[in-house]
Amino acid sequence: MKDRYLKYMLLAPALLICAATLFYPLVQSLNYSLHDWSLARAPEPEAFIGWANYVDLLWYDPEFLGSAWVTLVFTVPSVLLTIGIAMGMALLLAGDGRLQINARTLLVIPFAMSPALIGISWRFMLNPEFGAVDAVLKALVPGWSGAPVLADPTLAMMALIAVDVWHWAPYFMLTFVGALAALPQDTLDAAQVDGAGGMRIFFEIMLPQLKPVLAIAILLKTIFSLKMLDQVVTMTAGGPGTATDTLPHMVYSTAFRFYDIGYASAMAWLLAVVMMALALLYSRFVMGRSA
Amino acid sequence: MMSQSLTVSASSRKLRRSLPWRGIAIWVIAALWIAPVVWIIATAFKPRADVYSLAVLFTPTLDSLLSAFDSPYLLGARLLNSLLVTAGTLVMAIPVATLAAYAFSRFRFPGGQVGPLLLLATQFLPPVIIVIPLFVVFRHLDMLDTPWALMIANLSFVVPYATWMIKAFFDALPPDMEEAAQIDGASRLRAMWDVVVPVALPGIATASIFCFVVSWNEFFYALVLTRENAVTLPVALMSARTEQGDAWDIMASMGLFIIAPMLLISRFVQRYFVRGLVTGAIR
Repeated sequence: MKDRYLKYMLLAPALLICAATLFYPLVQSLNYSLHDWSLARAPEPEAFIGWANYVDLLWYDPEFLGSAWVTLVFTVPSVLLTIGIAMGMALLLAGDGRLQINARTLLVIPFAMSPALIGISWRFMLNPEFGAVDAVLKALVPGWSGAPVLADPTLAMMALIAVDVWHWAPYFMLTFVGALAALPQDTLDAAQVDGAGGMRIFFEIMLPQLKPVLAIAILLKTIFSLKMLDQVVTMTAGGPGTATDTLPHMVYSTAFRFYDIGYASAMAWLLAVVMMALALLYSRFVMGRSA
Repeated sequence: MMSQSLTVSASSRKLRRSLPWRGIAIWVIAALWIAPVVWIIATAFKPRADVYSLAVLFTPTLDSLLSAFDSPYLLGARLLNSLLVTAGTLVMAIPVATLAAYAFSRFRFPGGQVGPLLLLATQFLPPVIIVIPLFVVFRHLDMLDTPWALMIANLSFVVPYATWMIKAFFDALPPDMEEAAQIDGASRLRAMWDVVVPVALPGIATASIFCFVVSWNEFFYALVLTRENAVTLPVALMSARTEQGDAWDIMASMGLFIIAPMLLISRFVQRYFVRGLVTGAIR
């Protein structure tokens, strides 16, 4: 009876905060996206123009479509490589060996680093004159003569992907180690006794059982890749040219360098719609698994 | 009999043969992920001349650190801002999230699990979509470049995650605990405070550590919402990129301070941050 009010009172502060910092901005940016509004011209939203910003973006703005393409070129390899490498690391680092446990603990440190610092650090190490990466490449890759990685469109994108994989692989490794530990041991033992090799055991016995975990991991990583921004700002600032100008970065520069709030909001909403669809898929998975 | 002993010895032979290979691979992985961290920390202690070389051996000095504290980099002021914003965010977010988590865990709401899931799903939105209206509002209120603006912006991701994480801990606690306390005459809130919160403390700690890490590292909101007075450490990194080129010694010194708390509390970070990530499914 009294509980009826109590539960809403307990929830009220959190709801208030979410309303102010999430729901209001979401609705307001949709509103902005329907206006032709530059903050450089006016402090309040200017002319209402309906869906014109969206029409412009999708049909008449090659830069936006180019940025969408850049985002895709970043997202697909970063997701596949992160998940693949994390799985390889998990297979190596699963188990109760001292080396394994210590390595797993150690790998949390780079993951707990600020993404901005990660971007800056790699920019430093990728410097062609005194960067550590370049020195290592010179030693390992015959014919590598010290290319300015971040000044080359293809290499810059590859570097951005590599750094993103470096950032996220430890986290997904830990998730996969947990999933591997939960696999029933007897089928694995039986397969081993039957003489199945490591490859066959992985692909025919472990992988099918890991499918739900992998599906969620791929979905999550896709969402993270689509919203990745800190390293673009700190490593490449979208360049050289527009080679690494992903959608979040284009929204950021449109809104805060050119103050074109209406157009940037429309862009942000197009990106958000894609991510909402993915989020919906994610909650389906999570609900399905807990049910 | 014969064939079985053969396979067993074969597989144990295979195991022994694979061990050094496995060990080497693990060392290589550890090096690939730890070397960059060590490199940055080492750079902060290098003499200026060695920063722009690949010197592995050098005489450590505090010169870079000291000059980072000087004008125009003002590491001390940035550090204070970071501490203030992170502490303020946690002080506001954790009690609020604990109450909400308790409500979600113990009461039925219309829509069932949709509420908490929706809360989590908001975190899949790109931060740019949130920050544009926040920027406009804070500009109106003349709150740009204040720690308050950053704390409020940080609440947008800290409260949902903390609620989700603490809820997972409440869910694991049997409700009879509070019911017993209530039968003894305690009110629902009293029972929650006296009985449930102490037991859920590890969950609250998990959420706090997680929120500490993400607020401390937060870059994008701070980049947009601050200019000069409220700049935090991650944004300060950008100030070392000058017209004359990047001042790497300064960046490394700032980086050292960004990593330092993670290393100091690394045991907790490892235990709680990861657990938080697994329950909270990440920012």
